[in-house]
Amino acid sequence: MNKIAKKRTKRVLILLFTTLLLLLVLTPFFLMVLTSVKSLPEILSPKFKVFPEKWIFSNYAEAMQRGDWQRYLINSLFITCTTVVLSLIINSLAGYSFARVPFKGRDSLFFLALVGMMVPSQVTMIPVFIVLKNFPFVGGNNLFGAGGTGLINTYAGLILPYIAGPFGVFLCRQFYMNFPASMDDAAKIDGCTRIAAYLRIYLPLSKPILATLAVLKATQTWNDYMWPLIMTNKDSMMTAQVAVVTKFTSEVSIQWQLLMAATVIIILPMFILFLFAQKYFVEGIVTTGMKG
Amino acid sequence: MTLFKAKKPRIGHERVGYLLITPFYLFFLAIILLPGIIAVINSFTNYDLYKTYNFIGLDNYKALLIDPLFKKALLNTLIYSVLYIIPSMSLGLLLALLLSGEGRGSRIFRTGFYMPYIISMVCASTIWLWMFDPAAGFLNQILAAMGFEASTWLKDPALAMTCVVFVSLWKNLGYCMLINLSGIKGIPAYLYEAAEIDGANAFQRFKNITIPMLQPTTFFLFITTCISSFNVFEQVNVLTNGGPMNSTTTIVHQIYIRGFSEFKMGYASAISVVLMLIITLITAINFKYGNQGQDTNIG
Repeated sequence: MNKIAKKRTKRVLILLFTTLLLLLVLTPFFLMVLTSVKSLPEILSPKFKVFPEKWIFSNYAEAMQRGDWQRYLINSLFITCTTVVLSLIINSLAGYSFARVPFKGRDSLFFLALVGMMVPSQVTMIPVFIVLKNFPFVGGNNLFGAGGTGLINTYAGLILPYIAGPFGVFLCRQFYMNFPASMDDAAKIDGCTRIAAYLRIYLPLSKPILATLAVLKATQTWNDYMWPLIMTNKDSMMTAQVAVVTKFTSEVSIQWQLLMAATVIIILPMFILFLFAQKYFVEGIVTTGMKG
Repeated sequence: MTLFKAKKPRIGHERVGYLLITPFYLFFLAIILLPGIIAVINSFTNYDLYKTYNFIGLDNYKALLIDPLFKKALLNTLIYSVLYIIPSMSLGLLLALLLSGEGRGSRIFRTGFYMPYIISMVCASTIWLWMFDPAAGFLNQILAAMGFEASTWLKDPALAMTCVVFVSLWKNLGYCMLINLSGIKGIPAYLYEAAEIDGANAFQRFKNITIPMLQPTTFFLFITTCISSFNVFEQVNVLTNGGPMNSTTTIVHQIYIRGFSEFKMGYASAISVVLMLIITLITAINFKYGNQGQDTNIG
């Protein structure tokens, strides 16, 4: 066999292997969508058909009537948007300061934040819950944080842990450190204060890093399950991720078509975001190596 | 490590720096650092979230040593880690090697493999909850159609953990691929060209260039995967709730059950501290052996 033919067979083999694997990876998505429009008897029948006999789109409407889904989706959306906006402001300010502004103890403070980044949220879930439950002067609490429910079942309690994470600061600092030092000098000569320099020079140039951070934070917040699970016990404060588990999987005979319909609905916003911002998704993962 | 190479303060000390980091640092202290300290303190108490709050010394830790459920959870977490880390890292590397081309085909494939990573662990779990269902699930229907015997998957104590691992693998394969890809992109092309001129075949090039040059990436991926494996919780909670017969309960699942079902906050804090020590150990190994003078763009 000559060299070119050999190379071609190799390429065909690789293509075959990756295509097969890709189909395997994507099959659950197709099956999810198809199951969401089947009837329950058809799902349970031992004779499996890939496509539904009758496409029942009303499954989606029915799924959304299990509990106040409008409310759950709005909760998730509100928490996600607030988290993104607040983290962008807080993290880019701190990142800029750590990268460009000289002040005493800067490197130690940054190192401490870095240590905090290593602490996974699972480790701190119990104490964070206790801190937020005993937050003074809210939810019927007194000065010492006793007597009420604190920030449990509030939006603040759901949002605070997401905006406290240091990884956005890390991301922004890395970005701002790449600017030339002469930029600060020029700003200073022109009479810019640090804050003015941030607002007029750095911020307008930060679009790529802020987009990356926004995409990462949005995915992380929308997709999170553990935190809302702990912080809410009121139906009206549930997020979509918690609701899909509690409303559909807790019964003995699960209504699979409704579960799949609800799953499709809460996956959809992430797919749409991914479609429009794929570049930033990939960039964010690669530059930080963080699990979104 | 490029982390600490921040330009040294050139002109003294500007207080506005503190002002700019204040919003971040307040949240960071209150929600990350302070809870870390509180966890340690609470682990020496019998706090029940309401009235009881007494210091009981090392009793929680002594109880942990003889708690069969905690031992089971520790063992399960280890099994999960071993079953998850090796396939995810090797498959991720394989995919990255096969799809490192710049063509449009590779790009479409990469996007496809990346899809499961952007959905939530809850959604991944609900999809697979159906796939694994003994009565209605896709897997058993396929097995039946091919004439095999049905399996009970998540309801089978011997198989449940493997199923949980499989779901994690399916969801995170794209992540492992992506990190490996960024490592491969960082290897200079002239190394391969020189090796090819010297007559090295594809396997030799892989063994003598790709593997050593990729070592920092591999190590980084190993550490992050280790840490996330030790923190596995969401998929367990949705897929099996720790069952059947506690065969899938993990460390974090135990923290959750002890803390929020039994309200043993002191005991749950003690488990958290143990978990924190394990994570610290892994991170310390990272700092000691990772990135040995070799610079990567990540981590």
